[in-house]
Amino acid sequence: MSSGLSEIFWYNQAGLPLLLLLQLLPLCGAAVVYVFNERRTAVTLGKIFALGELLLGIVVVSHINPLSPALQLAERYTPLAYHVAVDGLSMLFVLLTALLTFLMTLYGMSRGMISPGRLFAVLLLAETGLVGMLVTVNVAWFAAFSGLELWSVVYLLRRWASSRAEIHALARFVQYQAFGWVLFVAGCIVLGWGHAEATGGYWSFDLFDLVGAVPVGKFQTAAFYLLFYGLAVRTPLFPLHGWLPNMAQHGLIAVAPALMVGVKVGIYGMMRFVLPLTPAAVQYWQPYVVGFAMAGVFFTAALAFQQSNLRRLLAFAVVSHTSLLVIGLFSLHESGIQGAMLLAANFGLAVTGMWFIVGFVFRRTGTTELHELSGLFERIPFLAIAFLSFGLAIVGMPGTPGFDAAHLILEASIDTFGALSTVATALGNVAAAGFLLWAFQKAFLSQARVGGHDVDRTQIMEYLVCGIALAAMLAIGFFTEPWLYLTETASQAAAARFVR
Amino acid sequence: MNLPLLSLLIFLPLAGVVVLWLLPARATRPVVALNMLLTLALATAVLFAYDPAGARFQLVEKLPWIASLNIHYLVAVDGISVLFLPATALLFLASLVACWNAVQDAPRLHYSLLLLLQSATVGIFCALDTALFFVFWEMSLVPIYFLLARWGVSSGSAQAAARYFLIMLAGGIPLLIAFVMLAASQPVPTFDLTVLLGVPLPRSTQTAIFLLCLLGFGIKVPLVPLHTWLPQFALAAPGSLTALLVGLKLGAFGLIRFAIPLAPEAALDLHWLLAGLGTVAILYGAVGMLAQSNLRVGLAYASICHVGLAVLGLASYTAQAAQGAVSLLLSFSVATGGAFVLLEFLRQRTGSTDINALGGAAKTMPLLATGFLICGLAGVGMPGTSSFPGEFMLIIAALQSHTGAGMAALFGLSIAAGGFLSLYRKAFFGPVTRPAVAEASDLRPREWIVLVALILMIVGIGVYPGPWIEIVRPAAEAWAAGLGR
Repeated sequence: MSSGLSEIFWYNQAGLPLLLLLQLLPLCGAAVVYVFNERRTAVTLGKIFALGELLLGIVVVSHINPLSPALQLAERYTPLAYHVAVDGLSMLFVLLTALLTFLMTLYGMSRGMISPGRLFAVLLLAETGLVGMLVTVNVAWFAAFSGLELWSVVYLLRRWASSRAEIHALARFVQYQAFGWVLFVAGCIVLGWGHAEATGGYWSFDLFDLVGAVPVGKFQTAAFYLLFYGLAVRTPLFPLHGWLPNMAQHGLIAVAPALMVGVKVGIYGMMRFVLPLTPAAVQYWQPYVVGFAMAGVFFTAALAFQQSNLRRLLAFAVVSHTSLLVIGLFSLHESGIQGAMLLAANFGLAVTGMWFIVGFVFRRTGTTELHELSGLFERIPFLAIAFLSFGLAIVGMPGTPGFDAAHLILEASIDTFGALSTVATALGNVAAAGFLLWAFQKAFLSQARVGGHDVDRTQIMEYLVCGIALAAMLAIGFFTEPWLYLTETASQAAAARFVR
Repeated sequence: MNLPLLSLLIFLPLAGVVVLWLLPARATRPVVALNMLLTLALATAVLFAYDPAGARFQLVEKLPWIASLNIHYLVAVDGISVLFLPATALLFLASLVACWNAVQDAPRLHYSLLLLLQSATVGIFCALDTALFFVFWEMSLVPIYFLLARWGVSSGSAQAAARYFLIMLAGGIPLLIAFVMLAASQPVPTFDLTVLLGVPLPRSTQTAIFLLCLLGFGIKVPLVPLHTWLPQFALAAPGSLTALLVGLKLGAFGLIRFAIPLAPEAALDLHWLLAGLGTVAILYGAVGMLAQSNLRVGLAYASICHVGLAVLGLASYTAQAAQGAVSLLLSFSVATGGAFVLLEFLRQRTGSTDINALGGAAKTMPLLATGFLICGLAGVGMPGTSSFPGEFMLIIAALQSHTGAGMAALFGLSIAAGGFLSLYRKAFFGPVTRPAVAEASDLRPREWIVLVALILMIVGIGVYPGPWIEIVRPAAEAWAAGLGR
């Protein structure tokens, strides 16, 4: 069986091993910021490193050729099984990671968190984990980086916890994530074992080796389930989303949830590893996965309507739209995959923006309970409009990146599942619009209560954080072309192994 | 003259928004007024640049936008859309005058949204690329939502706004699906209307597309039973906003521009559906109007009734019907839009537009009462007003193709006329009993200038409709020829 995978090594495309730099820069940043600890310089350095990573990401994008179906800028170091390579899709997520981390450093400043130096160190470490997951093509390395990132988030949640509820949420988080991680590792072992069986005892976790020797029959099904559910916990996919609402409500606002769901590494992992390594099982289980996802869109939308807390509501919004991404991905159609990836990036940016605003609101009011919030529009109109704009992006309003992506998913969905289920899915989106608008009206538009919170005006740093996120979103929304160009060939390559 | 007139028209209001936020707050209203006057001048320039005898689509501007999906920035006008541009500009100007002193609260934001809405509306009339059209279509929702939720006049305005937004968002789904299906049905996927019109589709695809478009546009028209958002909206929104929404018949325009020509055979097959929906809307709107006590809601029902007539007439698929429908819709922009603006003047003076809180309003506000009567009579198609030529052509077309439905329509229209006069009598005649009415002052100069402009148009076009109808005629004939009629 031909693997259908090819790669171009870094020395053919650039003068430096750029992907190595991409991983080392935030790691060095974390170390430096850790050493400087609570000095003011640490904060400045943290921001500089985060910005540097974003610029480096842009440099890397300029060095890859989006029209080539090969994985590019590849680096191999056999003794460690180190193997990295990227295509347009991975770079989309790398840029998103870098942008979100940079925004989080700005956000962390404006929230006035305790011990910001330590916070930035952990943040950069988490970024290392995320970038590592996105550039590696080795499942074991993916699992390792995933572990690193999860550990960073756990540390964040623990270090900045201040109440029993937070510790409880942390416990729940650890249980779920450890379980998902173990599932994924078990899936890796099945794959590696399958490879050893096929090649006479040579274990490998490298994507390029594994696609040539995918497990057969039951083993492939087992591998699919282990990997898929391992990633589904992480994503989070209904019905494995139980950790998110608690963490969102009690954890560190914005930073922790944004690290976990801002960058959809779960969806990325499915595209990069699950689709090529278990193609037969993917095709066989496609209707079930899609069926569950469709149920998930509506079930979680219904749950979102029940929430009285803005943070929990956003968590359910995430679960609801994640189901949409899975539908797009499992259409196994090039437009669907491309749409799902673009939509994932769009959601990541938009949801993180909304979480930032929730954080800003919390700093002013000390609560995110919807019935205690009112009339914020009068005091912080810019943040209110930004909140609504991010919400509209989630719903795929034209002029935001969500529109073209949703459009692609619709196209794929009509092709694959027919018009009726497509309409159903699209209605799920309207439901999402419903609860987001509802929350917006309650918190921002309703009449301000007498004796309510005397809310501060918007600060410069807040303008900056939301302004950057908004500007990025509108710019991508009206000029989608470069992003479609970046991801098109890679999506075709991902879909090519499935017969339609 | 090679100025990109249409792009200027679309982007001028957006430039206005930028200027608005650069200048100090006290310059807000003059800037907006200047911007809208410029827009009106530009729209008039477009009208003069358009040659009715020339090509079907004129002033075409085409630029690649999203090349890999073959989406273009493609704008142009034809005889069907060209008159809507000055009508839009005029109506926005009237709306601005109507809320001149009413917006004390965050005026810059309010006027920015109004300009954004104007840009989206002009875009809807000009876009010939279905994807671009859809972008403008959805873009108009956000300003409407905000204007209603934040500056609504009743306690339920936030709910009404959310409801409107969600219903319209849901209505966008069938449209988007239809446009994607249309694009995918071509050998090279395209969203270009001029290309799509030239390639016949298989019958089953046509039926699906026609029904999806009918659903999507029907919500906006609104056709019964998709109309439920409108009465609530009319009650919650200030008249200045309702005038824009009800005055500009975007839904019916969408039916004429997209739904019918893109799926001609299916449209011909399903003529009974279109005619039936039209007739139901006429009767329902007329009867619904009788049950209202609030003038704004009453007018909303009247507009359901009249746009039903346009839909019924269209179902005959003749050039005459298309011509009639376009001129009726245009006349409504002026007449119904004007009536809502006058109701906003009335509400600002008396605090209500409910007939129980009025009575005898003509005594203290004779000018306002006269203006409202003329606009209202134009709304019910009185001969000598601008609505009459269109209404006449539509009724003839309907009687020829669907005789029974045409008779029912005549019946419905007379009920509507009676309903309007009854509401009018209760609100404006009789003894003055309420202090609010007794103390109210008549129109100020700024207000009656708007009124005079509207009435001049209503009466002028009504008495001498020739030139206007001639602008529409070639396009309407091309439209009917595309359907094989």
